[in-house]
Amino acid sequence: MNRRHTIRNKKSVRNGNMQLARFAASILLTGALLVAPGFAGPAGGGFLETIHHYVSVASTIPDNGDVNPYAVVVAPVSAGAIRRGDVLVDNFNGMSNLQGTGTTIMDYRPSTKEVNVFAVLPRRIPQCPVGVGLTTAMTMLKSGWVIVGSAPSTDGTTKTLGAGCLFVLDPNGRLVSVWTGPTIDAPWGNMAVIDNGDSAYLFISMAGFDVPGPDVVDPKTGYPPILHKATVLRLKLSIPAGQPPEVVDQTVIGSGFAQRADKDSFLVGPTGLVLSPDGQTLYVTDSAANQIVAISDPATRDDSAGIGRVVTHGGLLAGPLAMTMTPEGHLLVCNGKDGRAVEVDPETGAQLAAKWIDPDEAQSPPGNGDLFGLALSEDGKRLYYVQDDTNTLMEAVP
Amino acid sequence: MKQLLHARWIIAWTVLWTGAGTAFCAPLPTSTPVDSATLASPSEGVFGFMGGITHSSYLFGDLWGLRPWLNHYGISLSIQETSEVLGNATGGLQQGADYEGLTTGDLQLDTGGAFGLPGGTLNVSGLFIHGTNLSAQNLDDLQTASGIEADDGVRVWEVWYDQKFYDSYGTSPVDIKIGQESLDQEFMISTNALYFVNTMFGWPMVPSADLPGGGPAYPLSALGARLQWKPANALKILAGVFNGSPAPTSGDDPQQADEYGLSFPLNGGLLAIAELQFTYPALGDLAVSSTPLSGTYRLGFWYDSENFADERYDDEGLSLANPTSDGNPQLHPGDYSVYGVVDQKLWISKKDTNRSLSFFARAMWAPEDRNLIDFSANAGFVLKDPFAYRTDDILGIGMGYAHVSSAVAGLAADTALYNPGTFSPQPSGETMIEATYQLFVFPWFTLQPDAQYVFNPGGGIANPDAPGQLLGDELVLGIRGTIVF
Repeated sequence: MNRRHTIRNKKSVRNGNMQLARFAASILLTGALLVAPGFAGPAGGGFLETIHHYVSVASTIPDNGDVNPYAVVVAPVSAGAIRRGDVLVDNFNGMSNLQGTGTTIMDYRPSTKEVNVFAVLPRRIPQCPVGVGLTTAMTMLKSGWVIVGSAPSTDGTTKTLGAGCLFVLDPNGRLVSVWTGPTIDAPWGNMAVIDNGDSAYLFISMAGFDVPGPDVVDPKTGYPPILHKATVLRLKLSIPAGQPPEVVDQTVIGSGFAQRADKDSFLVGPTGLVLSPDGQTLYVTDSAANQIVAISDPATRDDSAGIGRVVTHGGLLAGPLAMTMTPEGHLLVCNGKDGRAVEVDPETGAQLAAKWIDPDEAQSPPGNGDLFGLALSEDGKRLYYVQDDTNTLMEAVP
Repeated sequence: MKQLLHARWIIAWTVLWTGAGTAFCAPLPTSTPVDSATLASPSEGVFGFMGGITHSSYLFGDLWGLRPWLNHYGISLSIQETSEVLGNATGGLQQGADYEGLTTGDLQLDTGGAFGLPGGTLNVSGLFIHGTNLSAQNLDDLQTASGIEADDGVRVWEVWYDQKFYDSYGTSPVDIKIGQESLDQEFMISTNALYFVNTMFGWPMVPSADLPGGGPAYPLSALGARLQWKPANALKILAGVFNGSPAPTSGDDPQQADEYGLSFPLNGGLLAIAELQFTYPALGDLAVSSTPLSGTYRLGFWYDSENFADERYDDEGLSLANPTSDGNPQLHPGDYSVYGVVDQKLWISKKDTNRSLSFFARAMWAPEDRNLIDFSANAGFVLKDPFAYRTDDILGIGMGYAHVSSAVAGLAADTALYNPGTFSPQPSGETMIEATYQLFVFPWFTLQPDAQYVFNPGGGIANPDAPGQLLGDELVLGIRGTIVF
């Protein structure tokens, strides 16, 4: 079922008439979304229609007081301190709420409803200059290794943003190696992964690259300037048995993504990455441009696709951040500028539905700045997401 | 020509390989092994908080390790200072400026983090009130100029325990709070009105003037219990019963009667209050608009079972101004009020969704025979992110109205009747307008220049220093600063 979506998606790119027809259909559908009160989604429904209860399952604040949960990762295997199905959540801020200073990863176990600290990294690590600020770029490999990105700052803004690094942790939360290099600069968005056990591909967005501090503004607009230097980097890993993974190849497969500093959100750049089920398409949330784009042949291409082709733009999207894929093959993305999750059919680009999963009125619009990471449970029926305002891991269930 | 084309190809390929093709040229990331046992977080030092002082949520960061130490035991600590200078340039009893300050300390224990009891919160807060009360000294108006004005002193404010109850899904539609509570923290709230400085944008005029001791609101509180129930995601019901008065004795200044907030009186009548809230959007709502205009609507009712003195007549039915009156006012069993509150977003900028315009209105009524104020209202507009990239700034324009009951006006008329030659004006209503700007300096520091104008102070009362004249209209100017430690 999922495969068919992607195949048809590729055809739609090549067939102008079909593309036009689908575009017209998406316009009509989006129009219906915008005008029809009580709109309940298209016939057949989507994932968002199936969830009805929203449970605060755990505080994401560890003993050291770190806040602002970002990445949400469901463990694919049991290894070390982690059990398959555990939910790993990292924190981007330290206790004083300075962004880019969070050093902790939490482990929530759904079977026992317990939450424990999985890893506490030191605030300074010589191999990763500036400091530690764990981002949404986190994954756990089938071999048990946990890889997490860092976009560190010392003053809570991009004024002191370091290029950061990628940390490799063993499944007991011990740091074993640090990856740095000129292609790694503020690893930012949730990773897409092709994991073959003894080898893997990681797809990571890099949002640093010369972003100035948030007080530097474009005199014409009064807002921070938008740069177009963010990339999507593919790393090929070799994972010898019992040994930490090593990078054996790299390719920048996407480039020219919009990025900018922000005094509230720290950094806005490409944030959500997810592969189509057949691995032939990589979808990326281009947050600063308020759109989702697609890069074809992500695992095999040897050049940059630029920002790829636009799948959907605007509408119910509001600064889309982390992204995952539903069992039906729909894209599920959370908004940064309000508290909604949006479901998108990548085949047509139609925005199927949006649901308020954080309508906190304390922000304007409700839930603005509260959402970031999200992930589905292994059975694809439950949605895990974080609320940055309350520092909690949420679980949305049927 | 061929050579020129050839050269262009070379240039093009060079650009491609050195510019767009960073990946081809860039070296592979370096992998550096780390022995985590050799790593330790360096001490931040005494002045470590200075490193993040422009973007930290707290002036003193982690309070030199106190905050994480408390956090280990499930305890959070909040300390905030509000300081302001307000002065009246015109009107009132006299002109001048005064300083007023309030330090608030709040300790919360999460019983889940502390000893594994999920959903429990124990809260203790205290106040240190310092400075001079401008409204009492200079203004003598009904709608006092600042929400922090109170008698100087150190006092316990709220002491309560809140327990959530979970359903089979793990959501908590019900929670119960028991203890010493200040009702202005949960009831009759307009979220947009809270940005203003004038007292009546917080705890409104009707309960302030009519409930015993002004009701259980800052800086007072009362023992009781309240239930919060969410029958649906969009609906919330708040209902509570409390001691009928926050003060242990009636008639005296309630703050003086309970100087440290430690009397915990239970000798009053019963104050029952209930409020229904409707919010859009609610958790789980399907979104139908690209620019959601959110809103919250509240309807409420309170009843206090204490005896309330008639504002005009004695127990014989004579006017209290009548020289033959025994001076004992007629007593009414109980007092009550109904109220409604609207907070509605009107507009969100498409260019910058942080910029929005909201409207708020709140009105309440109480019977006129036993109350000084039988109607009060607030309304206004709040513009968030008013200027480019001033995301956290707020510009507000609001008004307040307090209507003095006809019983009080009647007593004034009676006083004039029985005391010929005495200047006894009949008060009607007092109107105030306020313009305020909340300037976000740092996350821990805001500055708020403020201007208020009061028409007909006191509803139209005699100026003790100007025989035969009413208190003049008042222009109040000032600035408030808020620091989170």
